Amino acid sequence: MAIQKILFASLLICSLIQSIHGAEKVRLFKELDKGALDVTTKPSREGPGVVLDAGKDTLNITWTLSSIGSKREAEFKIIKVKLCYAPPSQVDRPWRKTHDELFKDKTCPHKIIAKPYDKTLQSTTWTLERDIPTGTYFVRAYAVDAIGHEVAYGQSTDDAKKTNLFSVQAISGRHASLDIASICFSVFSVVALVVFFVNEKRKAKIEQSK
Amino acid sequence: MGSTDEPGSSMHGVTGREQSYAFSVDGSEPTNTKKKYNLPVDAEDKATVFKLFSFAKPHMRTFHLSWISFSTCFVSTFAAAPLIPIIRENLNLTKHDIGNAGVASVSGSIFSRLVMGAVCDLLGPRYGCAFLVMLSAPTVFSMSFVSDAAGFITVRFMIGFCLATFVSCQYWMSTMFNSQIIGLVNGTAAGWGNMGGGITQLLMPIVYEIIRRCGSTAFTAWRIAFFVPGWLHIIMGILVLTLGQDLPGGNRAAMEKAGEVAKDKFGKILWYAVTNYRTWIFVLLYGYSMGVELSTDNVIAEYFFDRFHLKLHTAGIIAACFGMANFFARPAGGWASDIAAKRFGMRGRLWTLWIIQTSGGLFCVWLGRANTLVTAVVSMVLFSLGAQAACGATFAIVPFVSRRALGIISGLTGAGGNFGSGLTQLVFFSTSRFTTEEGLTWMGVMIVACTLPVTLIHFPQWGSMFFPPSNDSVDATEHYYVGEYSKEEQQIGMHLKSKLFADGAKTEGGSSVHKGNATNNA
Repeated sequence: MAIQKILFASLLICSLIQSIHGAEKVRLFKELDKGALDVTTKPSREGPGVVLDAGKDTLNITWTLSSIGSKREAEFKIIKVKLCYAPPSQVDRPWRKTHDELFKDKTCPHKIIAKPYDKTLQSTTWTLERDIPTGTYFVRAYAVDAIGHEVAYGQSTDDAKKTNLFSVQAISGRHASLDIASICFSVFSVVALVVFFVNEKRKAKIEQSK
Repeated sequence: MGSTDEPGSSMHGVTGREQSYAFSVDGSEPTNTKKKYNLPVDAEDKATVFKLFSFAKPHMRTFHLSWISFSTCFVSTFAAAPLIPIIRENLNLTKHDIGNAGVASVSGSIFSRLVMGAVCDLLGPRYGCAFLVMLSAPTVFSMSFVSDAAGFITVRFMIGFCLATFVSCQYWMSTMFNSQIIGLVNGTAAGWGNMGGGITQLLMPIVYEIIRRCGSTAFTAWRIAFFVPGWLHIIMGILVLTLGQDLPGGNRAAMEKAGEVAKDKFGKILWYAVTNYRTWIFVLLYGYSMGVELSTDNVIAEYFFDRFHLKLHTAGIIAACFGMANFFARPAGGWASDIAAKRFGMRGRLWTLWIIQTSGGLFCVWLGRANTLVTAVVSMVLFSLGAQAACGATFAIVPFVSRRALGIISGLTGAGGNFGSGLTQLVFFSTSRFTTEEGLTWMGVMIVACTLPVTLIHFPQWGSMFFPPSNDSVDATEHYYVGEYSKEEQQIGMHLKSKLFADGAKTEGGSSVHKGNATNNA
């Protein structure tokens, strides 16, 4: 019984810790200052139907304070630029869902760069990394305050996330050396089995004929 | 017991619950004390003692080779599950694709388990196991070629065939261990084999991490990680071939037995299995104990990764706890059933099964509704104990459903587990209609609902959960089992094994029978 009491108590304590931790105010996307930053993206290859290759093509990204600006501009400390999924890439993929709660939002999982806030035009050239999945994307820049909370944002597409999107094709992850190794081990497995089998049958026949 | 020529005999010993769990046989059977073996054996050279930490040949060595091969197959069948967060990005999978791949991974073995019985009858369990394990190694290696959803689903389907090692495992045990302890041996082997579904959730993310740290990119690292289960297949196949033997005396005896005519007709046995309504209730029940265990193996790591923002290997550790509980949960379920049977007989077994499986279902509902990590982990662990103990408790009752058709009924029940898993994944985890947490909640509700039919199971000689025996004459038990043979079949003595079984099964009447008639049962 003592053990059961201890287990119950520890369970209670753990849940209390959990609920205290979760008692912070929930931060929502719609509370952020919209359009505070002007973000532009220029892929290294452009044109109708062009699909960028992960690991090879680059994006030239620029951001600056927009004409609308933000009431909370004084709080801007760092600008975090992220690669975000456009709606076509979120269909039937709940792990990329857009949530209004910032903590739960999965729209922008890929970090591009984080730079201290500067009023002048900032830019960077970023190579699409090799773990970017196939999909349609845009770029969003969050203005983050001193404690790491997002305050405002700007993105390279419109509110409906329909314009100025670009497509990326992921690397396949396959390699000729992997394919060859795979075939070798498979063949070894089958051949080893056949050799054992034939060998044992032959030994058994010899013994039987004795 | 243990002849290898009757149809369905390949499944003998799958349940082997003729007697209650015992670590050793009482002395009423003639034991062979030849110094040849490390363990005491009976007249057929089968071990009468189960020494867990020994690797002595041939008996305990067979046990370890067998359960490790079975576990390896579980590792490779569910190896994709903890890596889904990486694979889904590489192959551009949708939730539909992931769900379909999960269904495919458990569907293949529905058929391969049925075929495996015949393979074991023909080639013996050692070759049956080695053939399956080594011929499915190429399917594991072919993950390096997969580049889209169709390929992924196909490969997972092909890998799933190797779960038929369950049959070779149980068959092999029944050639090596006396039927009085075969229950514990097989329950332990099955439970420890199922543990592979938990080990893989721990192993694959760690292997993946190591490969990534060595410099590989994510979308290549997971493919390389699959070489590890592939190598395990080859290693276990070779070990089984070199260190294993079909029978305690050696391998040649199997060849001598070939050519004996089948004693019973397959069609008849199938008829008795299929027309016994209890068979189908157990098929449904096992689909919601083993079935939900397999489904959860497929979805739980991804669930913790996505819902609670955990790292891949953290999600893997938590998911591993689910599968690893099999180490003691499954044997514990059978043991609980035995204890209930001592006092309350078959009614106790049925109630035990209902309580355990329903509790598992309620914990599953709790898991689906858990909003914090701690409650999710606690409810998941309790759910795993419930579901896995229910598997053990199911196979504590199945041998009493029929003696003549035991093999086929056990096979059908096992197939029901895989079918239930495929169906659950298809309905609740493949579409965007339900989020994964909703899917888990509904799965829990389904478990509770589909466990209710256990109330309908009625044995004339022992009654059911709510009703007393309808036939409480002294020879009711014998009548139930021997009644499966027609008068003509009884005249030629086909029913004698069932009669022996019926005599031993009388203890399922409960404590009143135990008090009155102390037979040789632990």
